[in-house]
Amino acid sequence: MSGLLFNLATLAYAIGLASSAIYFVYRKKAFFDGALVAICVGFGIHTAFLVQRGIATGTCPLIDLRDSLAFFAWTVSLCFFISYIRYRVQALGLFLLPLVALLMLGTFFVRSSPIPEVLRSSWMYFHVLCLALAYGMFFVTFVAGLLYLFQEREIKSKKPRTFYYRLPSLDLLDDLFYKFLISGFGFMTLGLLAGMIWAEQKWTNWHTDAKVIAALITWCIYLALLYLRTSAGWRGRRAAVINVAGFLSVIFTLVSASFLGGLHKF
Amino acid sequence: MKLVLVGLNHRTAPVEVRERLAFPEDRLPDALSALRQEFGCEEALILSTCNRVEVIAHPEDGCLRTDRLIQFLYDFHHLQPPCLEPYLYSLSERETVRHVFRVASSLDSMVVGEPQILGQLKRAYTLASGAGSSGLLLNSLMHRAFHVAKRVRTETKISNSAVSVSYVAVELARKILGDLSNRTILIVGAGKMSELAAKHLIKSGISNVFVTNRTPAKAEEMAARFHGVALPFENLLSHFALADIAIVSTAAEGYVLRRPDMQRVVRERRHRPLFLIDISVPRNIDPAINDVEEVFLYDIDDMQSVIQANLEERRKEAESAEAIIAEEVEAYARRAATRNAGSLISALRGRLEEICLSELEKNRNGFSAEEYARAQKMLRTTAHRLAHPIILQLKNPDGNLNRYQHEVDFIKKVFDLEEEE
Repeated sequence: MSGLLFNLATLAYAIGLASSAIYFVYRKKAFFDGALVAICVGFGIHTAFLVQRGIATGTCPLIDLRDSLAFFAWTVSLCFFISYIRYRVQALGLFLLPLVALLMLGTFFVRSSPIPEVLRSSWMYFHVLCLALAYGMFFVTFVAGLLYLFQEREIKSKKPRTFYYRLPSLDLLDDLFYKFLISGFGFMTLGLLAGMIWAEQKWTNWHTDAKVIAALITWCIYLALLYLRTSAGWRGRRAAVINVAGFLSVIFTLVSASFLGGLHKF
Repeated sequence: MKLVLVGLNHRTAPVEVRERLAFPEDRLPDALSALRQEFGCEEALILSTCNRVEVIAHPEDGCLRTDRLIQFLYDFHHLQPPCLEPYLYSLSERETVRHVFRVASSLDSMVVGEPQILGQLKRAYTLASGAGSSGLLLNSLMHRAFHVAKRVRTETKISNSAVSVSYVAVELARKILGDLSNRTILIVGAGKMSELAAKHLIKSGISNVFVTNRTPAKAEEMAARFHGVALPFENLLSHFALADIAIVSTAAEGYVLRRPDMQRVVRERRHRPLFLIDISVPRNIDPAINDVEEVFLYDIDDMQSVIQANLEERRKEAESAEAIIAEEVEAYARRAATRNAGSLISALRGRLEEICLSELEKNRNGFSAEEYARAQKMLRTTAHRLAHPIILQLKNPDGNLNRYQHEVDFIKKVFDLEEEE
């Protein structure tokens, strides 16, 4: 995947990340505006790249692992825009962009072959699309939970430092956390259902596939988090452990097929 | 020197001196007219606040020594020299511009970033304009100063953080609860202190107010003032389940709220955050309550420590403000320098034309009338083309202003020019 568009998008994201970091330290508004423009440009080019790849392959551009990584990166930056437009949290970019950059760079190192022709169906594309969106949203949930902890610690310490001045209110961070948790969970449920229906038609023993089990564990963790948040009002430090566990589980699910093998190995 | 400044402020002079030098607003017109009529000032402005007294003036003869302004201060306030000597500062033009920009941007204030000074400066300028003592120079300086102050306010966060206890309470409430408009405040102890602390919070949009007090009548009274509801003091603990913010200030000797109580309350609240403000001395709330999840307890000392941190934050922002000031002073001086370039340019053009044409005049007899007219035209064009690169340099100076001034002096000297001011 060495398309010019892809490289340009990666570069734009990197510039966005760098100026977000400078803004965080020095708080010169020009750097934040610069970061926003760079991320917008990166996102635009990235979208153009996906379209171009879709036209080139004549189908939804999700036919190998690198495609999936690139698409996951795209959903994370999409989530950045959604959360920025809705909540105006300037610090969010600094924490979301490293993952985008990592995923983009990751595609240069991952070896993968296209998935077999027989597996290419709308079920599959819907399955991957929903899960990429869900994982992107869970990442925002993870970052929001983390920022909540930082801000909570600042306020409890009574000696405000960097984070106190640069992070939004606890209320806003909690809202961000909750909304993305709900949406992510919804998309994950849809994605898993689509995958199961489709697997039922193709395979018989998909229940024992490593990635399926990992994904179900992830789903259960987020179900628990959602339940405790809505019924018992768990947030902040109480929710943090489950939130971290959920996020690690997402990462594990993503890479599980690569070393555990199974039906998801391509 | 075109503009000079003489004055003293909270750093150079104690309040006893500042108050003796203050100009009451109704006497300012007299003071300004005295400056113009008796002390040789063409333009003058007096800024008199509780933290500073400053006179900015433009002298008639273009060369006013600041001791005339100092003399004016002694005369007007009937003081004997040299009693002000150790407190006064006198600034030259360039320093004056910088100083006025810093004052307008509240970098020279007692509490850096407090915006009152800009209003006071605007008022002083209005009074000077009204008294007819503000002209070209002061107008341009003041308008620029207001512009600089606006830049500093919007481009830095110098006035963003709270530096008084009541504003810190609002700032913290916003950091914890976000928008305050649908929040509930509980006031425990209907005294003066709690009323003062609650006032700003309620003004910031809190909609529901509950008051409770050992003497119910006082609670009723305060609740009426804040359009709130008085609650009985007996089941105090259950009231905390209703509130997002609670201000506690009772005359009780010990803790009215302990950690186990609070843990029960938090469960009842389903972990919604609670901001507790304990302004009573001795304290009414067990400090260990701050360790309970989603409860944020601040006493008076904690608020002070936030104020200290906020002041430090303002000082950091002041550094970027100083960079803006330096940039603006440079731009101002550049504009002032090139403003005079126009007359120099026309003098230079005239001089070069004169030199070229004088040669033609000497040999006038050798030309027919028609040839003479053509030669004259050619020589004029030559003169203009010679002047062109020099004019370009004068209009758009590169490099620093000192060098520019040297260049101007050099051109004046070699072409023997006298520019009109």
